[in-house]
Amino acid sequence: MTDPAVSNNTPGSPLRERGRGLALAWLLVVALLLSHNAYLWLVQRVSPDTDILALLPAARHDDAMQQAFVHMVDSAQQKVVVLVGARDWDSAVKAADAYTAVITPQAALLQPMTSDAAQLQDTWLSTFDHSRALLLTSQQREQLRNAPALQWSQQALATMYGAFGGPKLGAWQDDPFGLFGGWVQERAQETPVRPRDGHLFVESGGRSYVLLLMNLQQSAFSIAAQRQVIPLLDQADRAAKQAVPDSEVISAGVILHAAAGSAQANSEMTTIGVGSLLGILLLMWLTFRSFKPIALIALSITIGCLGALSVSWLLFGRLHVLTLVFGASLVGIAQDYAIYFLCMRLGADGQLTSPQLLRRLLPGLGLMLLAALIGYFGMALTPFPGLRQMAVFSVLGLLFAWLTVILWFPLLIQADTLRSTALAERYSRSIGKWPLWRSNRNGYAMLAVFAVFTLAGLMRLQVSDDIRALQKTPQHLIDDQIKLSNLLDAPTPAQFYLVRGNTAETVLQREEQLKQLLQAPIQQKLISGVQAISNWVPSQQQQQADRQLIATTLLAPQGPLTAIATAIGETASWQQTLRERILAQSQPLLPEPFLASAAGQPWRQLWLGNIGGQYASIVALRGLNDYQHIPVLARIAPRIDGVQWVDKVADISSVLTYYRQYMGWALLAAYAAIFVLLSLRYRRAAWRSMAPPALATLATLALFGLCAQPLQLFHVLACLLLLGLGVDYGIFLQEPTEHYRRFAWLTVGLSAVSALLSFGLLALSSTPPLHAFGLTMLIGMALIWLISPCFANPVSPSYDNRK
Amino acid sequence: MKLAFSHMLGRFCAALFITAAGAAHAAAPIAQIQATLAKPAVMCGRFDQTKQLSGIKKPLLSNGRFCVATGKGILWQTLQPFPSTLRITREAIVQMQNGRVAMRLDAQQEPVVKMINNVLFALLAGDLSQLDKLFELDGTLKNGNWQVALKAREPGLAKAIGDIRLDGGAYVNKVTMQEASGDHTEIVFSDIKSGNGVMSAEEGAMFD
Repeated sequence: MTDPAVSNNTPGSPLRERGRGLALAWLLVVALLLSHNAYLWLVQRVSPDTDILALLPAARHDDAMQQAFVHMVDSAQQKVVVLVGARDWDSAVKAADAYTAVITPQAALLQPMTSDAAQLQDTWLSTFDHSRALLLTSQQREQLRNAPALQWSQQALATMYGAFGGPKLGAWQDDPFGLFGGWVQERAQETPVRPRDGHLFVESGGRSYVLLLMNLQQSAFSIAAQRQVIPLLDQADRAAKQAVPDSEVISAGVILHAAAGSAQANSEMTTIGVGSLLGILLLMWLTFRSFKPIALIALSITIGCLGALSVSWLLFGRLHVLTLVFGASLVGIAQDYAIYFLCMRLGADGQLTSPQLLRRLLPGLGLMLLAALIGYFGMALTPFPGLRQMAVFSVLGLLFAWLTVILWFPLLIQADTLRSTALAERYSRSIGKWPLWRSNRNGYAMLAVFAVFTLAGLMRLQVSDDIRALQKTPQHLIDDQIKLSNLLDAPTPAQFYLVRGNTAETVLQREEQLKQLLQAPIQQKLISGVQAISNWVPSQQQQQADRQLIATTLLAPQGPLTAIATAIGETASWQQTLRERILAQSQPLLPEPFLASAAGQPWRQLWLGNIGGQYASIVALRGLNDYQHIPVLARIAPRIDGVQWVDKVADISSVLTYYRQYMGWALLAAYAAIFVLLSLRYRRAAWRSMAPPALATLATLALFGLCAQPLQLFHVLACLLLLGLGVDYGIFLQEPTEHYRRFAWLTVGLSAVSALLSFGLLALSSTPPLHAFGLTMLIGMALIWLISPCFANPVSPSYDNRK
Repeated sequence: MKLAFSHMLGRFCAALFITAAGAAHAAAPIAQIQATLAKPAVMCGRFDQTKQLSGIKKPLLSNGRFCVATGKGILWQTLQPFPSTLRITREAIVQMQNGRVAMRLDAQQEPVVKMINNVLFALLAGDLSQLDKLFELDGTLKNGNWQVALKAREPGLAKAIGDIRLDGGAYVNKVTMQEASGDHTEIVFSDIKSGNGVMSAEEGAMFD
């Protein structure tokens, strides 16, 4: 036991004083970091960006497109849609009532969407009532141009005389030719949902369904909300099935997917997380017989992450969730600084004070930090905001963790804090038995074998950036989703046309041109129809043309109207009155008032309005079931000015492609830069530090090639981490003395096993990105650990005089 | 949109209830009225219709022949002043004029068609609960002659259909519809015959 008084009397005393001052200053910095983090999360309640398209470079970033996604995707995010079906309508209603009876008392959680049917209908009609002369279906236009006048007058007379003259809205004289009725009928067919007995009704395959729409009152991604809502929906489901045994409940909603994701993450957290924590605790206990080292390692990494978060937030004003996930993983390298210090403390002479030890370790620690900073710097040079954020975040995190080790560890760990154990002894001595790779015949033979294996593997390596490969949604949710969108004939939220123009009128005209071109795919049954604002509010040009068409055909002198007057014995003035009455119903329809009305409410997400001086709208597609038809639809867009095909699935996949490619280049650049850096210090031995991560990475990738596992962004990310950790091991093992090299080997072992436990165990995850990351770490880390001693500098035995 | 469509089909519904001839069920006098009605599987007869449309001075007179066949549908053939046929089945509502389809609503395309037919057939089968669900029925019965006023329970539907009155004995004799728009329709039924032979082969073929 060293007496503190004795330590104070050591020659390192002034150093120690300065150390204390710096440590206190660092405490202040950490306190600031903590309070800033607390302010960010608790007071400002910041939330990281989640839109994956925000990760695209600014030039590729498009405001209108971003808003389009927000409109299409986010509006659906808070909805829960449920279809309760049974073999007949009465049973369906009974089951639905049982279902709603469970939900209704929980309105604070899930608010059922209801509307006053009668009132809605009134306002609905009043929106279009005074514009009847401006609204025609394309079929009506066709008939007005081509059908003989006699046909129109006969049809009108049949309606007049018939008991059920066909669809008719209001008095006969307001729609004598049934044009408005026909138009409304076409609008009605944009959805198969119909009101029935105060419920919404859908019919398919002989079964009747009640449609229930509910609004989630809390975020779909709130775990607390998920924990309450999912059991409630399950309970409602059971109630429906209890009321009507053969009923079926089909539900869809972002929250269901989110909850399935969190449930999976949760169970993995408990198994993988607890497993890895226990493993690391056991490892530290066996090595140091103390939990203090693990606490210290955790402390340095935590301060690293907090510091990175604070400063990055101040720099960028926002952070993407992917930055946090990737950045926090990359800060994992920071464990090396702490483990290195701890192991060296274990190996150092008791006479050497911790500040003195630090002085001795500082060159190595500095080199490690510099190598990591240079390694990550490459990412900052890419044009991608996400990669830049990640680079800055990781660099800051490493710096903060490093400073914590440098400034605090010498004070927190005394010479006698740690005691070596038998296991640590035995393991550390094992390095002596490790074969060294030498440049002789055997060495080159092994290299040749390795090269053949690697080449064979790498040549088979494939890549995949399909976003769908990154998600793993339970099959029953996917099935329900498909059934539901088929039953409701809902438009796809991920693929649509974005239409732009300088004025709202231009946008509507372009929509109309687009719809003309979409007639072909509709007839070929690639899609079943389109949803567009111009279905409801045609362009002014179209409205005027339709009015003109009605005036010159139906209302023309000696036209169908005259024929009707003659048939019922009415006069010329009657004709004139009716003619004026019909043409007077031409109050121009405009998109904004329509969208503000109750009738426009369901279509609001289609109209983006004025974005930065330009108008934009969405033309959504119904019944797009086969993704193979996407190229046909995409090819239509360039044929009209201002129309763009948007495919969010493809866009996200392309983000992943760019990131994988740029990260790949950043990885190569990092290898080159670190090699240059190490060459400055180790001269011709620099390759010895680089070989383990490089060979292990190649072998891992080759293995993926042979196992036909396609390469993703997350593999590349893991490779970057392998480089960071692997170079550290190389630097440790460059230790010239055999004694210190033993403890460097201990450092490597502890770091590698910790990395295997914390990152490698993610290979067990069933979430594809985590699995990819974990598997790369598992194989790569194990390889680095095993081969790194093979490339250590051959020790000159004379140098070792310490033990 | 959906509601507007039900609005316009509400008119169909109303008309169908009427043609269904047995449209008087529910409540105390309603049950008695129900008892006085004959409920044949097939019946045909003549109709005379007077329509008074707002904006037109003269009433529009028409007449023709109608058939109601349980499980099949309704055939409404206008003969005067010009021929036109309306066929209502479970699958579609079709209006024919000069051998040409003037209007067609498919159940597959327009689910309300099936709904209307379901209600209608439930009605023909004497299913009281169906009619009672949509309408408030108010009836009086005197010496085998009865009168029923129908008022749609849903305000929207009520507004679309207006007031409906049925007069009858063993069969429905007269239907009166008064719409909010001012249009007024009166249909008088006569020569009603029931039994298997009443429908001509041609008429029967129209259901196939």
